[in-house]
Amino acid sequence: MTIACILLAFATFAQKSNSKTEQDYYEIKTLPIPKEIYLEVGGLATMPDGRLAVSTRRGEIWIIENPYQTVNHQVHYKRFASGMHEVLGLAYRDGAFYCSQRGELTKITDTNRDGVADLYEPIYQFDLSGNYHEYTYGPVFDKNGDMLVTLNLAWVGFGEGKFAKWRGWLVKIHPNGTLEPFAAGLRSPAGYSINQDGDIFYGENQGDWVGSGRVTHLAKGDFAGNPGGLKWAKEPNSPFRLTLEEIQDNGAPMYEAAAKVKNLKLPAVWFPHAIMGISTSDILQDTTRGKFSPFPGQYFVADQGQSKIMRMGLEKVNGVYQGFCINYREGFQSGILRERFGLDGSMFVGMTSRGWGSTGKDEFGLQRLMWNGQMPFEIQDIQAKPDGFELSFTQAVDVNSVKKAASYALRSYIYKYQHQYGSPIIELKNLKITGVEVSADKRKVRLVIEGLRRYFIHEFKLEGIRNEAGEPLLHETAYYTLNQIPSGGKLAVQATHRLEEAAVVKAVAVRPTKKSAVISDAEAMALLKKHTCLACHAKESKVVGPSYADIAKRNYTDKQILALVYKPNPQNWPDYATEMAPMSHVPAADVLKIASWINGLRNKALLNHD
Amino acid sequence: MRNILLLTLLSWTCLAQEHVNLKDLAAFQHPSNNWTIEGAVQAAYSDTSLQVATGQGILVNTLRNGKYKRSDDLIFAFSHGDIHLMFDFMLPKKGNSGVYLQGRYEVQLADSWTKKQLNFGDCGGIYERWDDARGKGNEGYEGYAPMQNASKAPGLWQHMEIDFQAPRFDANGKKIQNAIFKKVILNGILIHENLEMLGVTRGAVSLQEVASAPILIQGDHTQVAFKNIQYETYDKPSVSMGPIKYDYYTGKFTEPIIGSAKPVESGKLDKLTYKVIKAKNDYLIHYQADLDVPETDTYEFQSYWTGSGVVKVDGKELNQGAHWYSEMVSSKTELTAGKHKLEVIHVKDFPWGPQALGLYVKRIGSHPVALHERTSLLDPEAVGMIEVKANAEPVFQRSFAMHQGKKKTHVIHVGDPSGMHYSYDLKQGALLQVWRGPFLNATQMWENRGEPQTSEPLGVTVTLDGKFPLILDHQAQADSTELVYKGFRVKDGRPIFMYHWPAGNVMVEDFIRPNAANTGLERTFSFKSASSIQSASELVLGNSYHGISSINATLIGLQGQSYFVQWDGRIGAILTPKQGLKQQRIPVQGNEVSYQLIW
Repeated sequence: MTIACILLAFATFAQKSNSKTEQDYYEIKTLPIPKEIYLEVGGLATMPDGRLAVSTRRGEIWIIENPYQTVNHQVHYKRFASGMHEVLGLAYRDGAFYCSQRGELTKITDTNRDGVADLYEPIYQFDLSGNYHEYTYGPVFDKNGDMLVTLNLAWVGFGEGKFAKWRGWLVKIHPNGTLEPFAAGLRSPAGYSINQDGDIFYGENQGDWVGSGRVTHLAKGDFAGNPGGLKWAKEPNSPFRLTLEEIQDNGAPMYEAAAKVKNLKLPAVWFPHAIMGISTSDILQDTTRGKFSPFPGQYFVADQGQSKIMRMGLEKVNGVYQGFCINYREGFQSGILRERFGLDGSMFVGMTSRGWGSTGKDEFGLQRLMWNGQMPFEIQDIQAKPDGFELSFTQAVDVNSVKKAASYALRSYIYKYQHQYGSPIIELKNLKITGVEVSADKRKVRLVIEGLRRYFIHEFKLEGIRNEAGEPLLHETAYYTLNQIPSGGKLAVQATHRLEEAAVVKAVAVRPTKKSAVISDAEAMALLKKHTCLACHAKESKVVGPSYADIAKRNYTDKQILALVYKPNPQNWPDYATEMAPMSHVPAADVLKIASWINGLRNKALLNHD
Repeated sequence: MRNILLLTLLSWTCLAQEHVNLKDLAAFQHPSNNWTIEGAVQAAYSDTSLQVATGQGILVNTLRNGKYKRSDDLIFAFSHGDIHLMFDFMLPKKGNSGVYLQGRYEVQLADSWTKKQLNFGDCGGIYERWDDARGKGNEGYEGYAPMQNASKAPGLWQHMEIDFQAPRFDANGKKIQNAIFKKVILNGILIHENLEMLGVTRGAVSLQEVASAPILIQGDHTQVAFKNIQYETYDKPSVSMGPIKYDYYTGKFTEPIIGSAKPVESGKLDKLTYKVIKAKNDYLIHYQADLDVPETDTYEFQSYWTGSGVVKVDGKELNQGAHWYSEMVSSKTELTAGKHKLEVIHVKDFPWGPQALGLYVKRIGSHPVALHERTSLLDPEAVGMIEVKANAEPVFQRSFAMHQGKKKTHVIHVGDPSGMHYSYDLKQGALLQVWRGPFLNATQMWENRGEPQTSEPLGVTVTLDGKFPLILDHQAQADSTELVYKGFRVKDGRPIFMYHWPAGNVMVEDFIRPNAANTGLERTFSFKSASSIQSASELVLGNSYHGISSINATLIGLQGQSYFVQWDGRIGAILTPKQGLKQQRIPVQGNEVSYQLIW
């Protein structure tokens, strides 16, 4: 038995080390930036003439020639406009630029065509209180030529919209300069876009009233959950009426509140905090017909803090958008704020991390993401079924692996809806697969699941699934938000659908020989990566959160660390911009191992210094 | 960031406490008849002499003697060592004077208006030293130009603030510490900081440095005027503290209340310091000492700590509460001469934030006395400046901006290579401020998240009323005007702002650029409408709470002669819209009207 264990462990190890990585399929190209330019990207606009325009937090618009770097790697920057106030959105239309400054939606024109703007016209002037957190994003043009703009809440220890009009709203600005309030309940709506069907989606950051990052479909009159801007629902032109008092604040999940508040819109997809990003930003539907990715029609959701791009697949069930999210590509140079497709189907990725922090170490950056045409083994799609889900894959699966119970770990959970910042995971439940059916082409696997819960996040860990070459999935974990359970035929589960309950599952667990032994750096790193701690922390250096070495200096006991991991106290680290999310889903045994490793760093430091 | 700012500002807020009486010349030793007391002075920026009007409050060198005599220098009656000196001065064109601290270290006063290259002889410069023994042509040495040109135009009142530390001598009269200009601030601009004087400057009353001597004003070169001369000297004795008994308690103290706790350690200290203990948090330290008060007076207790604490004198609570180390907590109390009981309790019940404990006692007329070890209070963090330059071509930059204590959110700052810049409220079509010097400090907007989102002028600034200046004939100027902002077009790099002004039913363009002589900004309103301007209108050239000085038919001085407005001479009127406020208006005729701001 011992020998078998070792062999198995070895086999797993060998396989992992040979496995493919994201960069084998999804390539990142860097556009060099001259040293004197602070290209803190707030907006991107692809121009039809092959140029790229970039707006910055320092209020400039740069036009870049040769951004596709087809022959020469060098790109050429020309400052087109300047002097604006934190330009966090840019669009190009009919020879003019449209951008949002903090206090203004501005049209910028180069009337004498000398390459430098000479006319700055306000289309709309936004109200501001002077609070720095009242960011303004956009515009995004809809098919009628109206401009969508989102208005961030102020920050006064919580998100507050009452100081300046329409804060916390998505508004439509008509070309004649009139404002049409469209949807409310927004907290920090840095990224939003319109899909091919004309529907609007926006990404939200975890925060007060927002248990975790999420993408929400906004129709007119929707209220997306944060009541900071509800003061303006009293205005005569508000598309709905709602007051803070009508919203429950008892920590129950959002769907319970939505049962009582008609306009409260549930997210189409939850992005579990710290796992699928910490600060959702831009959203872009792949409209490149297969040039950008193997997933045409799906959505690519960026994350500022974790410097990565995730993939989101949507379906409409009973007329309601819902779907899944899964990692796509990490390792960008700074915090991603903007995504735009280039003319060649690659994606320009614009970044800034000043004041916000990000896993990517650079202060700002501009990169391009492109698929090299090699087909990775990935989950293609997840669709809800009356009795479970149907997963489809980019390649035929190894039927044996699909039939093993040990290949799957499924569970579901949800977040609190409350005025406090963030939420722990609540109502966590493991799920049992009672039947599996593989399609004839081996590209689709239907799972019959016991204990589906409407509205809940359903986590799929497909660690054991292999393709016919024996390779694991490039990304094995996906999260489906089940707002609606479709009606229709259920699978009649027969003997052929049953999974093999293999004994090997238990054998994988390896117990440390000595309980008191502190785990090695390598073991610690594996655990930290597994539980996504490394997205925000590093051993020695400050990332989004403090380094483990700095945490060690606080002299917490292992148990105190455990308590703080489960229930962080952001006041402990006032110098860090991003608050830590409760990580109560990480098993206590793992946290304690990590804690003793952290405290070991302190001892090492002392030894070295003595 | 906010906390850092607080600390920086603190050092600027201590006000001089003595006023030099300028109802006559009694404050000076043997003044020559060059010096008189007058009630008003004024001059155009092009005048080489000052016009005076009889009265009191202004010290003027009329240069009646006309010829150099050392006895025309004006020597104050009082002697000083360390001193914080502030005064207003006015120079005519090509004016030249100087203020010698202790009669020995000269801060130059001169007409350096609009000069680009500065040296020690320019306004605010620390004058050069002089030694004939160095040989012909090499006599002059050292001397310090101001860090930037902070001069205003001749004929305007300028403000100087000097924080001077006298040289120190040992018992044998040997100098052990040079004199130091700790700060010199001209027209609000810091031009020297902690500059040591290796010896006296040229023209000193003596080469011999001393602990105490009177101020001397150079009186032989040109006319010059002074007013509002104020100072604080530091020769009064202040408190001293006996040995400290401290008691150290561990535990979760959220308030500085000992209760029934027992100390884990006790001992003696010379000065307050948290470093007597090893713990980083969850402690209480109780310090007790005798405070020797030399003379009955008001004493100010200025404390700093991270955590919570209390300062008590004779059992009376002075400072208290939960604070961050960069926040000063201050209270004043009257103490009689003799011994008093000082108690300080400091608790810190959380692990974050730097440990810190500091306590100063300040008596007017003496330097603050630190009752803590230097290492017990952290130095505040400094952030490198992010500057927007306008050296090569005009530059504009939007940000929030403070104006008369309020944050304006739709502001554009426009910088010009001429060195003359302005801030403009786009919502109101209004000038907020103009300045000369480097362009813009954007640190508070672009460092980290930039929570204030403001930016500030880097040069000598004139704050303006922030109101739209066009009004219909005979109507009152409103605090805010209904305007439709139409954007700006850019001409030669400079914005031209466009508005629809509903009251006048006209399209207005507002163009601000350097005037032809590069002495100020010229603002031109033009009316772009088929029907031209429909109603009779007026232009408000300026509002002033300190009177309007009509210098000639085309030039006025506003806000206590802190800036000039010049126009084409069309006949206007000075109104009094309310008590204390004067307003200069001129009629608008034709399609264009313009005026200049000169400072």
